[in-house]
Amino acid sequence: MTAPSAPAGAASAAPAAPPPPAKKSPPRPRRRLPGGDALLGTGGVLAFLLIWEIVPRTPLVSADYLPPASEVLATLAERTATAKFWTAVGDTLAAWGLGLAIAVGAAVLLGFAIGTVPVLRAYTASTVEFLRPIPSVALIPLAILIYGTDIASTLMLVIYAAFWQVYVQVLYGVADIDPVADQTARAYGLGRWARIRHLIWPTALPYLITGVRLGAAVALILTITAQLTIGSPGLGQEIAVAQSSGAPDVVYALIVATGILGVAVNTGVRALERRVLRWHPSVRGEAAV
Amino acid sequence: MPRRLLTGACAVLLAVGASACGGSDTETTEGGLTKITVGAIPIVDVAPLHLGIDQGYFETQGLEVEVKNTSGGAQAVPGVVSGDFDFAFGNVTSLLVARDSGLPVQTVANGVSSTGKEGEDFGAIVVPEGSDIKSAKDLAGAKVAVNNLKNIGDTTVRNSVRTDGGDPSNIQFTELPFPDMPAALEKKEVDAAWVVEPFLTTALDGGATEIASNFVDAHEQLTVAVYFTTEETAKKDPELVEKFVTAMNHSLSYAESNPEEVRRILGTYTEMDQQLIEDIRLPAFPPDSSIDSVQTIGDMMKEDGLIKEDPQVSELFPGRA
Repeated sequence: MTAPSAPAGAASAAPAAPPPPAKKSPPRPRRRLPGGDALLGTGGVLAFLLIWEIVPRTPLVSADYLPPASEVLATLAERTATAKFWTAVGDTLAAWGLGLAIAVGAAVLLGFAIGTVPVLRAYTASTVEFLRPIPSVALIPLAILIYGTDIASTLMLVIYAAFWQVYVQVLYGVADIDPVADQTARAYGLGRWARIRHLIWPTALPYLITGVRLGAAVALILTITAQLTIGSPGLGQEIAVAQSSGAPDVVYALIVATGILGVAVNTGVRALERRVLRWHPSVRGEAAV
Repeated sequence: MPRRLLTGACAVLLAVGASACGGSDTETTEGGLTKITVGAIPIVDVAPLHLGIDQGYFETQGLEVEVKNTSGGAQAVPGVVSGDFDFAFGNVTSLLVARDSGLPVQTVANGVSSTGKEGEDFGAIVVPEGSDIKSAKDLAGAKVAVNNLKNIGDTTVRNSVRTDGGDPSNIQFTELPFPDMPAALEKKEVDAAWVVEPFLTTALDGGATEIASNFVDAHEQLTVAVYFTTEETAKKDPELVEKFVTAMNHSLSYAESNPEEVRRILGTYTEMDQQLIEDIRLPAFPPDSSIDSVQTIGDMMKEDGLIKEDPQVSELFPGRA
């Protein structure tokens, strides 16, 4: 069976890739574009750092509360030489990774189980719509009550937040089956498992990956939030300690570190997406550019 | 299915969190030490705990202490009640509120006390540079920042205003984290703030003026915070509590008589700048709590409506009051 065509949801959520160029277009513009993007991106970061460097030296903000970029980056460099920093990064990544993995696993299982049975789907729709918008942060008191200040309370928040991102995507993905392909599969006598393997799975996969990408970012946000407010170990807790010590340079250095972690996480999931969906038109188009 | 989904999610969470759900059963290390967990907010106030560990006072008692950072009493109390911490550091107001709502917490050792010296305490009411507010009574009708509403800050600020002959009824208290207070004062976003170290020093360096020492106004030897546990732990394992108390009292005495050691240890568990560590005013660390001062605070809390019943001071300090 051929792969289904690009679902609308996946296409819009896929990276804003320029339309695939016509075949045999001259190679020059193709090569210049990515290089140009990288240059622009670097320029943007530099401009941001320059503004950050200048603003604390003006009366707008006191350097006591917002240290200039150079000072913060120097503090960050100092930090990266300490074992404590890397332990915190490790704790943060462990909570993030474990939480995301559990959320994705549960979302895939439940998404496929419920999504493929219309009755179940209709039966659960309103409950899902009720539970989904509850902000994970609102569950912090509950998490502390049940799990104390350990990693488990962080996990509860991370899983809750990331689960819905992935689950809803999987539901949409499962619902996006091309009816002609479905009927063809049935006509050829494919069973439930064969249809899941050869039809539903490839259809839902782009949605799932989109969900993972959304979930990965949300999971990182919640990991840091939980560590910051609950005090479970990791970068978030280090930020809280620095804040209560009146050390703004350390606070900002650690914030920059979480930002870098966010970029790394997004890049990682994008790489995964390209690998898993290399057969998919949205990725093939991007790769050709 | 909602049930199915929830049970599924709970099962997963339970599997993950099972280890965290246990009670306060203590473990023993290979060296024969009993492992205990103490919840403490990483600020100046808990320096004796860190210093005592550093000096080996807990090890002498056969204890291996793991300090878990909390963000304050709001997490320390549930942490102790759920058995996550064997002991924790919490301020007396939070503990009296906890007792008032039926949580069985009890004090085991003193935590931190006011220095009792006007103008030389580790917390103070400060006003921005050039403010018209000259003393506590001028705070009537002003916007005053405290770190938590309905806690020791607003209660003692009201008391300072009353003591100074002002009317505290129309003070507008606003919640602001301590770290944000120096900036808020500098920008004159608030008329006054109750601020503690190290942010008191930062605020004063930024031009703010100290107008009252609210802890000193409340009581000449105010006990601000203590180490506590649950009645269950105290009853079930009195030996463990005894060991902790002995070590803690050694630590407090050592900290009280060696301020330079307190400043040294601050550099290890906080992120405070070396200069700031040298500049701040240290609190007092007497091994004994002043029950009388806790009663005073409790009475003020009742008057301000923070607790419904009479303060349970003797329950919080069993055998002491």
